[in-house]
Parts: sequence; C-alpha cells; structure tokens
Amino acid sequence: MRSDPSENGGLFVGRRPGTAPVHFRAAPERGGAVRQRIDGSLASFMLAAITLLCLLCWGPIPLACLWLGSQANYLSGSVSLGILVSFAALFGLLFGALSLMKRADSAWILVRRAAGYDQRTGVLGRIFALTAIVCGVAFLLWFLVIHGPGSGLVTHGGE
Amino acid sequence: MGLLDYYKQFDAMSEEEVNQGLREQAAERRRKALTRIETLDLSLTTWPELPHQRIVNAITFQARRGLHRYPHLAGADLRATLAERHGVDPERLILGNGAAELLGAATRALIEPGQQLLAPWPSYPLFPIMARRAHGQAVRVDNNGGVDALIEAAAREPDVRVVALASPNDPTGELLASAELQRLLEHLPEGVVVLLDESLVEFSDAQPTSSSLALLEHHPRLLVFRSFSKAWGLAGLRIGYAIGSPGAGPVLAELEPDLGVSEISQAGAYEALKSCSELIDQRVQVIRDERPRLIAGLRERSFDVSNSQANFVWVAHPSVPGAELATRLERAGILVAAGDALGEPQHARIAIHSPAATDRLLNALDNAL
Repeated sequence: MRSDPSENGGLFVGRRPGTAPVHFRAAPERGGAVRQRIDGSLASFMLAAITLLCLLCWGPIPLACLWLGSQANYLSGSVSLGILVSFAALFGLLFGALSLMKRADSAWILVRRAAGYDQRTGVLGRIFALTAIVCGVAFLLWFLVIHGPGSGLVTHGGE
Repeated sequence: MGLLDYYKQFDAMSEEEVNQGLREQAAERRRKALTRIETLDLSLTTWPELPHQRIVNAITFQARRGLHRYPHLAGADLRATLAERHGVDPERLILGNGAAELLGAATRALIEPGQQLLAPWPSYPLFPIMARRAHGQAVRVDNNGGVDALIEAAAREPDVRVVALASPNDPTGELLASAELQRLLEHLPEGVVVLLDESLVEFSDAQPTSSSLALLEHHPRLLVFRSFSKAWGLAGLRIGYAIGSPGAGPVLAELEPDLGVSEISQAGAYEALKSCSELIDQRVQVIRDERPRLIAGLRERSFDVSNSQANFVWVAHPSVPGAELATRLERAGILVAAGDALGEPQHARIAIHSPAATDRLLNALDNAL
C-alpha cells in the first residue's frame, strides 16, 4: 500500500499563485452602465496614448535629441558639447516619458476597474516590448532595404 | 464624490497593507481568545487532538488515487503490519469497521435467537444492544462480583452463549487481570465464547498490553477486539480488528465485513502504525502519568474513584449526584458524562487529558462542591 505522507496527490494546499483577489480599502461605489461604457472608452484612449508614447521613445525622441545636439554643435562649434546635449536630452526625455507612462499605466488600471474589468496588472511592459519589436523591424527594413545596402544593390543592379 | 476620488476608490491595497490588516485581525483574535475560556470537554473517551498530518496526508493521497474502485478486501498490508506488531499469524487477524461492528458481528454469529449474552454492568452500552440485535437476551451481572459472579451466572443460566467484556471497562476503567481472565476461561461452561473488547488497552500500565493475546494460544474460545478509535485518535475512520486463537480462521471469516474496510480507513491506520507509534506512546504516557494524580486529587475531595486503567475515571461523590456534578462543572466550562444513561445516577465519567486539564478540573471541583 502506498501512503507516502509527503505526497498530497496533487492537492493544492494553498491558493494558486497569482489568483489572490484584489483588496480595496472600501467596497467601491460603481457607476451605472453608461458610466462604465465611458470608462471603457477612456481606458482604450489611454491605452492608445501609452502606445503612442512608447513609439515616441523608439524614434522621434532620439531623433529630436540628435537634432538638439546638432544645433548645439552648430552654435558652439564644439562636437563634445553637441554630444553632451544630445545625451542629456535623451536621458531626460526618455526617463520623463517612462515616468509618465508608468503613471498612465497605473491610472489605466483604475479606469479599467471602474469600467467593470477585474484588472490585476498593468500593460506597460507588454506595450513597451511590442513597440520595440515593431520599431526594430521598421528600422531594419529602412536600413537594409530602403536606404541601406538593399537600395544600393537595387540601384547598382539597375545600372 | 469628485472625479479623481471616484477612480481612486478602485486603487488596490498593497501586499504590505493587506498583510498588516491580516496581522491586526490575528492579534485581535488572539486577544479575544485569551479573554475567552474554551470549554473543556471531558465527556468523551476519544482522543481530543486532531490526527497527525502524516495520517491526513496518507488519507488524502488514497482518496485522490481513486475511490472509484472497490477496496482491497483483505487489507493485506495493514493486516500483516498488525500481525507483526502483535506477533500473531495474519490469518488470525481480521479487519472491521471499528471494534464495535466486529463485536456485533461476533454476537450475531454466535448467538441463536433466545440465547443469552452475559456482561458485567455497568459496562460498554453496546453489549445489551448487540444481544438484542442478534435476537438474544443480555444478562447483566454486577461488576462488583468480579469474575466469580460471571462464572456463577454462566453456570446458572443454561442459554448463555457469549460473555462480553471490556478491559479496561467503559465506564469504570477497570482492567481485567490476565490471571482473572484465564480463570474465567477455564471455568466457563463448554460452548461459551468470551468476546474481549480491548479498545482502551493501550492506556493501561498494570500489565503488559499483550497479556490477553498470550492467552489466545491456549484458549480457542477467546476473541480479542481492538480499535484505532481511542489511543490512536482515529475514531472517525471506523476501523478496528479482531484477533483469534490459532485455528480461529473460520470463526473470524464469519465476522469479516462482506465488502471489506474502506481504503481510506486502511491507509490512515497503516500510516498511523508506520509513522505515529512513538507519538501514540507519548500520548499514552501522558495519560499514565496524569491518571494517578487525578485519582489522588479526586479522592482528596471525597470522591469514590474506581481503579481506572483507561483514559477516564469513574467517580461518585457522596453528596452530589452525577448529573448535578455535570451541571455544576458545565457552569465552569467543563463537560463530563453523567452516569444516568448507564443506570448509575450517582456516578460520572471524567476523561483524562493534559496536566493543565487536570489542574482546571480540580480547581473547578473546589468551587463546585
């Protein structure tokens, strides 16, 4: 007869990980159906805004920083100052954007809950990774096909 | 409510905040528990603590393994372990759904309608019921007469077929000495079988717990019944066993449950034997240590106390009937079993637990008497 006491037969003694209920300080007073629909739309809008901010981090912000650096170089004649200005602007804007996105993500969780969803976690990490992949692929296409060796090969092949 | 406040109410508490709240609730419960006096139940003869978690795990494992099948009818593993523990052949040992069921089956197998079951009284309340269910008749013999009274009654009543004994006896707690049992077996008329219920024998220390089993070698008319319900603390599993003499196989086969004992019960009992023997020895030792102290304390308070070898004492106070004593102790949060149900209204049965329980009982008696 098997009666190994360390074997519980697959019985979960405690709660499964990640299934803890959300604890509120007090039971929330939810709005009506219309309010919840509006909140749902607001959450979608916030999601779009977060996505846009993420996309800015992978292209426009670095480009803007490079432009600022070039202006500093042009006005002062110092390459070092240009690089310094570029990096300072890059760090400032990127960290500022990340901080803003983090706050927006926390607010998005609250709005989603107000819309009636059991929202446990934010979405920032996934959007950040997704936009990185999209922008990375777009950059590779631009670099290798449109403006890089690919375009040169096409042009030289045509000659 | 402002717009921001509306959304802020959906902000979840952090894990630290939740834990802090739980800690405060636990502290509040502890504070209340300290101010509340729990009822001390000394009315039952079963073990007061929960089974060891190893036993519960073994039962859980067995339950999840598959209850859709019929159990192992023979219970070979458990029988072999028990047989080894008692030094007998496994063929001489059968399992049942508690010693009570086996005792009932033995009575039905041995008594024909109209025949008699002899039992000292007061004793295990099931004995007269067993006789009635077998369409027989119970003959109660005064406990004070000892073995001689039983021998005389068996000689006097021609239809006696079974003598049912509990040792230690419930509710008196008295142990039948091995020599006395042997004398009884030697002087009973031919054809009378002794059913010896030893459900409480683990608590006794007056003689080795295997004394009666040794008598089985030479007395084929003796059947010994034991249980996991008392010292082993597994009353809810309903599992016990019977041991017979060499060659008692056919008789034992008649007592066996038709469809065996549940696998859950077998698993719990098997695990208890395998891994909890030391724990049982410790809890039995607590009772053996506490029993003389409680008996002495009760005698100091003018109680007539039987020489118990069980996990309870059978007491009578000269001026306070058992039911009145139970009522007075209940006011102090202590439950004891009044003897009315057993036809002994002056008596009460009080279970022995821990040293703290003994102290609380004696203090309560000082106030109640």
